[in-house]
Amino acid sequence: MIKVADLKKSYQRLEVLKGISFDVKKGSVFGFIGKNGAGKTTTMNILTGLLRFESGQILINGMDFLKNKIELLKSIGYLPENPVFYEYMNAYEYLNFIGEITGLKTKKLNFDILHLLKVVNLKIQAKRRISGYSRGMKQRLALAAAIIHEPDILFLDEPASALDPEGRLEMLALLEELKRRGKTIFLSTHILNDAERVCDEVCIIEEGRILLDEKLSDLYDKYIQPVFDIEFEKELTVETEILNKLSWVESIKACGKIINLSVNNIKIGRAEILKVLSGLDNYVTSFQIRKSSLEDIFINITNQGRKVK
Amino acid sequence: MRSFRAYFKKEFKEAARNYKYLILAVGFIFWALLDPLMLKLLPLILKASLPVELLSQFTNINRDYAFLNLLKDLFQVGTLFFVFSLMGIISSEVSKKKLVLPYSRGLKPEGMVLAKYIHYAITVSIFIFAAFLTNYFYVKSLFNSGVLSIQIVLWSCFLYILYFAVILALLLYMSSLFKKSIIPGLLVLAIVYGFNFFNQLSLIRNYLPNYLILRAADLGVFFDTSLIPTFFISVFLIAIFIFLTIIRMKKIDVA
Repeated sequence: MIKVADLKKSYQRLEVLKGISFDVKKGSVFGFIGKNGAGKTTTMNILTGLLRFESGQILINGMDFLKNKIELLKSIGYLPENPVFYEYMNAYEYLNFIGEITGLKTKKLNFDILHLLKVVNLKIQAKRRISGYSRGMKQRLALAAAIIHEPDILFLDEPASALDPEGRLEMLALLEELKRRGKTIFLSTHILNDAERVCDEVCIIEEGRILLDEKLSDLYDKYIQPVFDIEFEKELTVETEILNKLSWVESIKACGKIINLSVNNIKIGRAEILKVLSGLDNYVTSFQIRKSSLEDIFINITNQGRKVK
Repeated sequence: MRSFRAYFKKEFKEAARNYKYLILAVGFIFWALLDPLMLKLLPLILKASLPVELLSQFTNINRDYAFLNLLKDLFQVGTLFFVFSLMGIISSEVSKKKLVLPYSRGLKPEGMVLAKYIHYAITVSIFIFAAFLTNYFYVKSLFNSGVLSIQIVLWSCFLYILYFAVILALLLYMSSLFKKSIIPGLLVLAIVYGFNFFNQLSLIRNYLPNYLILRAADLGVFFDTSLIPTFFISVFLIAIFIFLTIIRMKKIDVA
């Protein structure tokens, strides 16, 4: 759907994008993660035609973005991190203005606007001037402006950054709904829990370079820690001794009813552990493979500055 | 066309709600009302404090003098109101990133630039026309003698409208070049007032738009061949400044 190859961008002498490349698959949610100043917003501004770039290629739906910009923008919606409006307008007027630029038919537009205002929870404030809106309300209005024309691709730059916890959950639910409807979403965020919840693939950018670009599921597998946390029904007796005798067990930490078991081969460990535990007299009440969160992976990768790609 | 339509409506709303119509109305029509009244009342106000020989200068004012007073004020003060209220016409939109959402929705810069120009050209034309007619009504009622007629007023009005149309195009272009609104404002004012000096040079003055101002004050003299290059150059400047603004807005990074 979106193919970016060797994209470079500089502001005067400062090179902000140093030849980044990635692919975004159709219908997926692509998490674009990085620290402040890593180049996330610059990339998004380039992909939405707001900034020029020095070199590289962008293909959207197989078409060259530079040559078919006006045509391709029809299928793109953009929610900037800090959306700016004509504040003397109200939400209804602004959406009407954006709809008119987009070329939507007036009758359908009126209906769509009312529906959208309901979706983004601004129906009551629709006739109030935007100057009186909170940051969260502005962000919701910008989302409505981004999806007013039912785009196939959505670029969302920190869509939940200004929202309260309730608004954030609503935003995530909306993203999941858009994903369910087959939209391709390019999501820049520093709230890694959000990325974990909705993204199919994540790309970590650091100082204008892509450090990692992988499916979230593969990422968890790759960065999974070879540790099993097991809780038993009764106090531990012979369990530690039995488990220690197994060749694939590296080490054991035991405390009360809990064992933390490290293995030297996660695949064998996964296959064998349940068989062994089912043969014990002490019942297992809780069992889990210790997973790294996206936050752990992000910190690990950015600290190492490792170039996976 | 859809970008033009959307931005034309937007400019209308903006000017009405941000009091730009009011500011421009004050800048133009206020002088048309105030000037004749002040000229009429000044001798009465100064009667006690001025010597008789000086006072006679104020009492011998005719319609032509009163009308020329408006022309002078519109050029000197009206231009200030006009330039300072519209100097951010593009620069403030770029610097405050107001164009991010419209550009991401495929806004055509030519539609936006033309909408801005045509909207304010119409607005200023209406205000200048209203100012000239108002002034003519008052001058005719308050003063006697002089050659002033409605034809002269309309001719001067036309020349002023054309002049302000050139200034608007220049302002639009300058505003697209800078992010701080004050810079295009000051540059345009420097050009407007600076170029007035060339009206003293008979060899080149009719090749510059400021000649329109000079001729507007030439009461009773209508069109002659010396105005042909002025008209052509004025229209050419309007077209070239609008064209350059469109080119600039097509290449600018709005984010």
